[in-house]
Amino acid sequence: MRQLLVFALARIKRLSVVEADDGVDGLRKLAAGKFDLIITDINMPIMDGLKLVKRIRSDAVHKDVPIIIITTEGSSEDRQRAMSLGANAYITKPIQAPQVIAKVKELLKIE
Amino acid sequence: MNDERPKKRAKDKRTSDAPVDLTKEREAFVRTFLRKGVELTEDLLRENDVLQSQLSSLQIENARLRAQVASDDAIRELLRTVEALEQEKKELMQRSRELEQAKDKHQGRYTEIEQELNDLANLYVASFQLHVALAPRRVLRNVKELLAQLVGAESFVIYIVEPDGKHAQPVGSEGIAESELGPVQLGAGKIGESLATGIASMQTAAPLTGGTLEEPLAVIPLQADGRCVGAIAILSLLAQKTSWASVDEELFHLLGAHAATALIAASLFSRTSGPAAALAGLREQLHLE
Repeated sequence: MRQLLVFALARIKRLSVVEADDGVDGLRKLAAGKFDLIITDINMPIMDGLKLVKRIRSDAVHKDVPIIIITTEGSSEDRQRAMSLGANAYITKPIQAPQVIAKVKELLKIE
Repeated sequence: MNDERPKKRAKDKRTSDAPVDLTKEREAFVRTFLRKGVELTEDLLRENDVLQSQLSSLQIENARLRAQVASDDAIRELLRTVEALEQEKKELMQRSRELEQAKDKHQGRYTEIEQELNDLANLYVASFQLHVALAPRRVLRNVKELLAQLVGAESFVIYIVEPDGKHAQPVGSEGIAESELGPVQLGAGKIGESLATGIASMQTAAPLTGGTLEEPLAVIPLQADGRCVGAIAILSLLAQKTSWASVDEELFHLLGAHAATALIAASLFSRTSGPAAALAGLREQLHLE
């Protein structure tokens, strides 16, 4: 439900959002620009979210960019795995816009 | 009496008649007078000193008393100021409490509005996703996504009523093996009842776990043209979701009212050769020609 996320993020001022269809598309778009924050699902076609996190953490330009994972996978093992790979936050679905907004603001250090 | 007077005069005369004694007497008197005068003067001077000292003490005492009176006035003034400040503090505290209450009220309202906004965004996205697709598979996929990602359903089945109006067949599912699924008779079991009556059912006892095909956590009848043409049965929710959210019921209403029409539209559209063909004859149908 990218649309819902985009709605939520639109409520944070001075934030522009670039959408990607899957992990590979995400890496392609990352290579074309510089980003302050990355939000990804785990279950995605072609390249899943965990592989994407791993690739981003080995990328010189974006290795320090905060990553939020939003997923239906709610087990503590999934969470630990994602965090050990380098994710900065782990949010479980169903998506709650206030929760996402609060986490984005916290990671971007904005009021 | 008259006889004695001359005698006294005689005696006085006798005394004054002795000049030497008189002189001595006079000198003695003068000395005595002067000594007394000196003594008196000295007494007066001492008295004056004492009086001067007392005056000085009194002046000091007077100054002290004046200072004390002034000080008392200042204290009284200060007390009045303190009292006024206390009153002002009390008023400010009251105002602060009122503002705190207003802040809490506004904070509560803000949270409510945030929640409403969030719910509306969910409903908007759900509505958009239902009607953006014109391929039956895509509509079905979007319904599944809505159930999984907005409601947080882990396993669920979507049924469509057969043309005979007696049974409903599963057309999509998630989190349950297809081998477990089969047709549902209208009126039989929880799902069949909802299909027959068009009335939704939702379990409310938390935690919402352990739903089955016989006892689903929720059944949402799908309506089209005032008739129940299908149902969504939610069997279990994601582990992290233990109760229904405020928006869930609204989402169920929306799915109930729109999912079937979206599927009907997609089904009809799939039998045409494209949007233009699907719209052919619309003007006649609208009685515009």
